[in-house]
Amino acid sequence: MTAIVPVPEQVRTNPRSLHGPPRFDVVHRLVANRRVIAGLVIVVPFVALALFFPVLPFRPPNASSLGDRLSSPSLSHPFGTDTLGRDQLSRTVAGARISIMVGVLAAAISISLGMLIGTVAGYFGGWVDSIVSAVLNVFLSFPGLLIGLLLVAVFGPGVWQIVAAVSIAFTPRAARLQRASVLSMRNRPYMDAARQAAAPTWWILLRHVVPNTVSPMLVVGSIFTADAILIEATISFTGLGIVPPTPSWGSIIKGGQAVLREAWWISLVPAMCLIVFAIGLHLLADGTRQVIDPSEQLEKQR
Amino acid sequence: MLRYTLRRLAQLVPTVLGLVVVVYLVLRLAPGDPAVSALGENPTAESVARLRERMGLNQGVIPGLLDYMGGVLRGDLGDSIVETRSVSQIIGDSLPVTIVMASAALVLSVMLGVVLGAAAAYLSSRGRDALDHGLTGGAIVMEATPAFVLGLVGLLLFVLKLGWLPATGIFDLVDIGNTARRLALPVAILTVGSLATIARLARTSILEVLNEDYVRTARSLGESPFAALRGHALRNALLPVMTLSGITFGRLLGGTVVMELIFTLPGMGTTLLKTIVDRDYPVVQGIVLVYAILYVLVNLITDLLYRRADPRVVLT
Repeated sequence: MTAIVPVPEQVRTNPRSLHGPPRFDVVHRLVANRRVIAGLVIVVPFVALALFFPVLPFRPPNASSLGDRLSSPSLSHPFGTDTLGRDQLSRTVAGARISIMVGVLAAAISISLGMLIGTVAGYFGGWVDSIVSAVLNVFLSFPGLLIGLLLVAVFGPGVWQIVAAVSIAFTPRAARLQRASVLSMRNRPYMDAARQAAAPTWWILLRHVVPNTVSPMLVVGSIFTADAILIEATISFTGLGIVPPTPSWGSIIKGGQAVLREAWWISLVPAMCLIVFAIGLHLLADGTRQVIDPSEQLEKQR
Repeated sequence: MLRYTLRRLAQLVPTVLGLVVVVYLVLRLAPGDPAVSALGENPTAESVARLRERMGLNQGVIPGLLDYMGGVLRGDLGDSIVETRSVSQIIGDSLPVTIVMASAALVLSVMLGVVLGAAAAYLSSRGRDALDHGLTGGAIVMEATPAFVLGLVGLLLFVLKLGWLPATGIFDLVDIGNTARRLALPVAILTVGSLATIARLARTSILEVLNEDYVRTARSLGESPFAALRGHALRNALLPVMTLSGITFGRLLGGTVVMELIFTLPGMGTTLLKTIVDRDYPVVQGIVLVYAILYVLVNLITDLLYRRADPRVVLT
């Protein structure tokens, strides 16, 4: 009586499809995670404002009106104005645009370079690994901010210079993480199988090694973005990073330091934005890690 | 222990040599001629040539590097371009403030962090998690808060509004009372910045150790929770904290730079920022090198303490 239904070829060869496509499953679990949701609620509005700043009805961030200097937050200037009478709301959003761009670019560059270096060192091992690890160790012996300052001393002030300095400063950290995760999978059975089957090295790297390291590196990328924004702000606060009139969160905060007593909002409102945005990125990273690496969650619950 | 210490010290040599190489090469191979940029606008060809000679830029990169390394080994970091003092003198004058500030903040945040962590662990074992949640929240916020923002808030509240502490004026390390008043706020701010992270780690590892068999045995033999913690658990629970405190020191060093800037303290940070602006490259090199060596040394000390607390550690 049993009707024999021909199983489609695709379903038979892909056991994952029994539980629906795996990617959909991950998205599902991400959306169910409280930290991910909290992170998104914080991060998305900031990014949207920063992205669409040019088409939104903000005042020009550098338009000064000397009659309105240092006015406290009001309906017409919700974040107040600065020493030149510039609207702090539009400067803070314009600053978000620069700060977030610097953070995302620096994180993307350092993670890409770090994955390249870490993959080579971790997969090939031997003298390549010894040399790479020795160099990484030296770079990691500099306190984070100090290597950033050293590079800024060389590159000079400016947006692109900061991106370069922070990228170089973060690359060793990314490379060390990537090296560790490549090392941990180098001798897994499926890698042995690929090698036994005489798969070319580049194919093994592209098909097995890199895809398996991408999701942990995305988590790291979220943290690196937050850290890069904090480092940019710190370097700009010292006056060596992004310099006026270009607004970044760090340079706006520095601009308000001299009038901190009279007009605290100039410095502290962008500072709050910086902190809240960085918290959002950290929550996003924490939540994503819980989803893609459930072993750690079990560890915590024990 | 002595053999371990010596071998650990020997391992440091290549790292320090590497630091010297990086610091030298970054400024030497950078785009542009450091002598030209040091002299500012429109330098004469003659003055550039003189300065290039003085900075040792006329020799090749490798001989220059060997020269610089030789100098570092003798404690000679070269001469400032702007000032008449040598780089070593400039660093010698500014180093104490930075070291006092960073190590005071490190000691305070580790001690308070362990106490808070132990309290949170005790409360958690009684089913009261409020302090733990507070520490977790605090750690998340502090991870996202740059030191300079905390510094500005501290400056606004305690100096500008309340007027409790001075933030400007003459600073003399020998005058203890004055030093204490000037350093109290920056040290407190640095401590607040790293306290929660340390406390949270201490809580987690104390809770883990409290579940070990030997602690249960001690408790069943009638020891009070406090005695069991002090006599058996703490020593093992603090191992991860030691490792973290080494890493924390690196963050604190970065923090001292902005604290010195905000509270006008004559340390290595303010000197570094000033010399970067002046393009006084020999001083910049020297200061960054000293920061890195300090960081490496503190991590060596935490390693040695770790080994003392846990003799099972072997050198790889």
